Amino acid sequence: MKNTPATSPLSSHISSPSQFGPDRTTFHSSATPGHRLPPPPPPPPRPPASLIQLQFAGSAAKDPRSVRRGDLSQVAAMINFVLLISRQGKVRLTKWYSPYTQKERTKCHLLHLISDDISSMSSTIIACREVIRELSGLILSRGPKLCNFVEWRGYKVVYRRYASLYFCMCIDADDNELEVLEIIHHFVEILDRYFGSVCELDLIFNFHKAYYILDEILIAGELQESSKKNVARLIAAQDSLVEAAKEEASSISNIIAQATK
Amino acid sequence: MDLAINPFSSGTRLRDMIRAIRTCKTAAEERAVVRRECAAIRAAISEGDQDYRHRNMAKLMFIHMLGYPTHFGQMECLKLIAAAGFPEKRIGYLGLMLLLDERQEVLMLVTNSLKHFEYLVVLNVGRDLNHSNQFIVGLALCALGNICSAEMARDLAPEVERLLQNRDPNTKKKAALCSIRIVRKVPDLAENFMGSAASLLKEKHHGVLISAVQLCTELCKASNDALEYLRKNCLEGLVRILRDVSNSSYAPEYDIAGITDPFLHVRVLKLMRTLSQADADSSEYINDILAQVATKTESNKNAGNAILYECVETIMGIEATSGLRVLAINILGRFLSNRDNNIRYVALNMLMKAIAVDTQAVQRHRATILECVKDADVSIRKRALELVYLLINDTNVKSLTKELVDYLEVSDQDFKEDLTAKICSVVEKFSQDKLWYLDQMFRVLSLAGNYVKDDVWHALIVLMSNASELQGYSVRSLYKALLACGEQESLVRVAVWCIGEYGEMLVNNISMLDLEEPITVTESDAVDAVEAALKRYSADVTTRAMCLVCLLKLSSRFPPTSERIKEIVEQNKGNTVLELQQRSIEFSSILQRHQSIKSSLLERMPVLDEANYLLKRAASTQATISSVKPALAATPGDPLKLPNGVGKPPAAPLADLLDLSDDAPVTPSAPAAAPNDFLQDLLGIGLVDSSPAGGVPSASTDILMDLLSIGSSPVQNGPPTSNFSPPGKAETKPAPVTPQVVDLLDGLSSSESLSDENAAYPSITAFQSATLRITFSFKKQPGKPQETAINASFTNLTTTALTDFIFQAAVPKFIQLRLDPASSSTLPASGNGSVTQSLTVTNNQHGQKPLAMRIRVSYKVNGEDRLEQGQISNFPAGL
Repeated sequence: MKNTPATSPLSSHISSPSQFGPDRTTFHSSATPGHRLPPPPPPPPRPPASLIQLQFAGSAAKDPRSVRRGDLSQVAAMINFVLLISRQGKVRLTKWYSPYTQKERTKCHLLHLISDDISSMSSTIIACREVIRELSGLILSRGPKLCNFVEWRGYKVVYRRYASLYFCMCIDADDNELEVLEIIHHFVEILDRYFGSVCELDLIFNFHKAYYILDEILIAGELQESSKKNVARLIAAQDSLVEAAKEEASSISNIIAQATK
Repeated sequence: MDLAINPFSSGTRLRDMIRAIRTCKTAAEERAVVRRECAAIRAAISEGDQDYRHRNMAKLMFIHMLGYPTHFGQMECLKLIAAAGFPEKRIGYLGLMLLLDERQEVLMLVTNSLKHFEYLVVLNVGRDLNHSNQFIVGLALCALGNICSAEMARDLAPEVERLLQNRDPNTKKKAALCSIRIVRKVPDLAENFMGSAASLLKEKHHGVLISAVQLCTELCKASNDALEYLRKNCLEGLVRILRDVSNSSYAPEYDIAGITDPFLHVRVLKLMRTLSQADADSSEYINDILAQVATKTESNKNAGNAILYECVETIMGIEATSGLRVLAINILGRFLSNRDNNIRYVALNMLMKAIAVDTQAVQRHRATILECVKDADVSIRKRALELVYLLINDTNVKSLTKELVDYLEVSDQDFKEDLTAKICSVVEKFSQDKLWYLDQMFRVLSLAGNYVKDDVWHALIVLMSNASELQGYSVRSLYKALLACGEQESLVRVAVWCIGEYGEMLVNNISMLDLEEPITVTESDAVDAVEAALKRYSADVTTRAMCLVCLLKLSSRFPPTSERIKEIVEQNKGNTVLELQQRSIEFSSILQRHQSIKSSLLERMPVLDEANYLLKRAASTQATISSVKPALAATPGDPLKLPNGVGKPPAAPLADLLDLSDDAPVTPSAPAAAPNDFLQDLLGIGLVDSSPAGGVPSASTDILMDLLSIGSSPVQNGPPTSNFSPPGKAETKPAPVTPQVVDLLDGLSSSESLSDENAAYPSITAFQSATLRITFSFKKQPGKPQETAINASFTNLTTTALTDFIFQAAVPKFIQLRLDPASSSTLPASGNGSVTQSLTVTNNQHGQKPLAMRIRVSYKVNGEDRLEQGQISNFPAGL
């Protein structure tokens, strides 16, 4: 960890999802910060003509998904968990929105049955560590040009690398991966604006603030706010509430100190 | 650090603690720092310290993130939440969410304090939901939305429902998302929320809109009534929202890459899909707006593509017009030819769903998809392979299979398993053309025989046994393949089986096909090949056992080589593997002393019953499918999961394949049947002994099975030792070490009981890490089914010795455990001798619950402490 550029701003890697390492466009150098993304990648090549002349047998074909997904057996959130890991596999932030799959839970239960004899470590922590270890193995080993999705235990993990940090979100197999990529970027941009060119060290020493911001973006694994400005405003308002309370506290303690002198 | 309210605080500050942890060089140092901090925090908690509660909570959260237990801080969260000030509440709620996410339920339930704790949480959250400060209300809603349980949801639902009508939009959106969690936990409550959810869709604030749309989607999942209600009342509003947002001019606050609020786009499209699924009217109603989004959205940025992707999914999911579907497929075609891997990945994903709608359209992209199977990215490869599998039909199966098999040769090692499974499944599905099937299977076996599942090559053997006109061709092809690719385990097995059965066709070029080139193989060439396979150091027991059977059979097929074969078999009499040793002794006995019956004993196997095998195989596959159902439930409606895609089909023991006793019953009155006679002779069982039994007649087949049941015997050895029948009495069970054999072996009875124990419970590798392997072998005292003696043996896999080795084990309450001292506390390096330790476990719920055990191993490497732990769940059944 010592030799990582933990101080290098994550924003230097804010770029379009498909481009990583070589793109050093600095987010803050643009004239209107926040509203402009790095230059667009070249548009996709025109599709060959044959793709356009497709014919359909008719609309009568039955949809395979007419079985509704509303099966109550599955009450998973859209985003099952958020994970920030460094290149060394150190965890920088975790947030779990839905319990594990049934299988995981029984495993936890079994572990627990036995665990009190053997160690004080809770089954939860063991299970979490396992998930994190497994995922960091999967993700950190992937090359730079590959796609940003990995399939894992029947879920999909969408990840994106910013400088030394990997932002990962786990979603269900049929959720929109591209949109989650946008959500990750949304989160990073808000962090960037809050910390002012955010870097890994900011997130280590102010991890609680990163959590506050995440809580303004996601609740129950669903998106809460699409406006970066609004999130920034809400966080600033709450921070000033804290500041005010602190000032009040210190002035009171000063008064007490004065009085008891 | 600003977290410390008192500027004159003593003790370490948060920042200092983080710094201290970051400077730690080793895990042990880190543990020491954390232990010190935790001790200080515990002390502060027990003293009821107030000044640093805030800061201690922040420290605990950091410690939690590092993966250390922090349960002792849970009560502190509540105390912070109960405080009056915003800063305390803010950190208190954060702590509550982090330290007490739902997965703790199990823990808390056991300590029986969950109810009380939950009651306190509900009390505090309920109070904060009514707070005059909107931010405090927001904190409470957020915590509730992230962690509430079913009970909490029921208690607080009315409050949350009321907050949906709050004036502040930020409170409204949080309340809407919190309702999602509530409905997930208690679906019955869905109807209470549908009215307010529908009215929220009329708002202007995007945060509220997004939250409300998501809430509506969740309500539709939870209740059909809500679905009907929202379909009637919301569709119009949704179309308006989507039109407004997609036509809106530049809106800096929501703009991403030139598109206004792609998140809202995607979520509205998703809700539209939910509402219009299998409903023609509403599908028609949204037709126009979908067409507009599909045509007008820019596709040069990820945000635009996300919208297009969702739009295509919606078009595929509803009763769309054919024009719209053409549009959707065209978008996918464009995606597929995109250079961006992400876009190609989602295109493959979606084409899988499109297959059901229009197979022809997807078929057109076959070439591109096939290219994706060879992509450098494993995610794309997997998707593409699934898709190709679905695309294969009668007309294209040969060309596609050829492509896949060709690719098998160059593919990554870790992809070979998936690819092999898929190819085998395809080849079997279209196996009408037997010659083609055999050719493909032989190629797959040669290229990736190590990845071919047992049931696949078993099926191949069954088929060859039935295809008499192709047996000559098969054995010659396999012989050539064996010479070329002798390191592929299943290839070797199939090949030696064939050589054993059809050896004369190999040397005499019998039943040549037109396309074949004649080869010259002498009898000793064939024996050479089998001997090489037998002696290959990496061959496993099953393969070697099959080689021995093959040699035995060859000795009767090729009389001139029988002396040599006798020698090879003799060499194996001293084999350390019991199975091989026993076989060698049996076989050499046959070779030396029973020449008269040898030829009839070693006749070609009767034709295997194909229908019966397929039936059995289907049944066992079925069993696997039902056992993996929970996993499948995670993706209901997912068309990709085909039976052959699931996990590993159970290794159907070969005995099944050869099991003739069920279907070819020999009538009990058949003592005149020749095979029985000489088998009984062979086994030295007098007629007197054999008289009691419907069992004896089937003994012929059983023995045949014994000779051929290749190493899989322990698995199917049903009866525990308590059922052990005294020697001399005919056994009906196909146990490999039936007492009859003892006669044949002339006084090996001393090893008999031992072998039986071992056969009953195969030893397992209980634990394996980079440094250490632990194997368990089992023994049961007759008459004490509950008690099992386990002999654990530890092997050091590293090159340095492990000292101060301590093995500990823990078992659930229903099991009693006794640990005897280990034979040594030092494990020599590189597996040079191992340490053993015996354990005795008594399973008080024998027969109801299986054994389970957790183990912990501590030792020192070069003086440094190490700790490893694991769980053993692969105990053999019946312990």
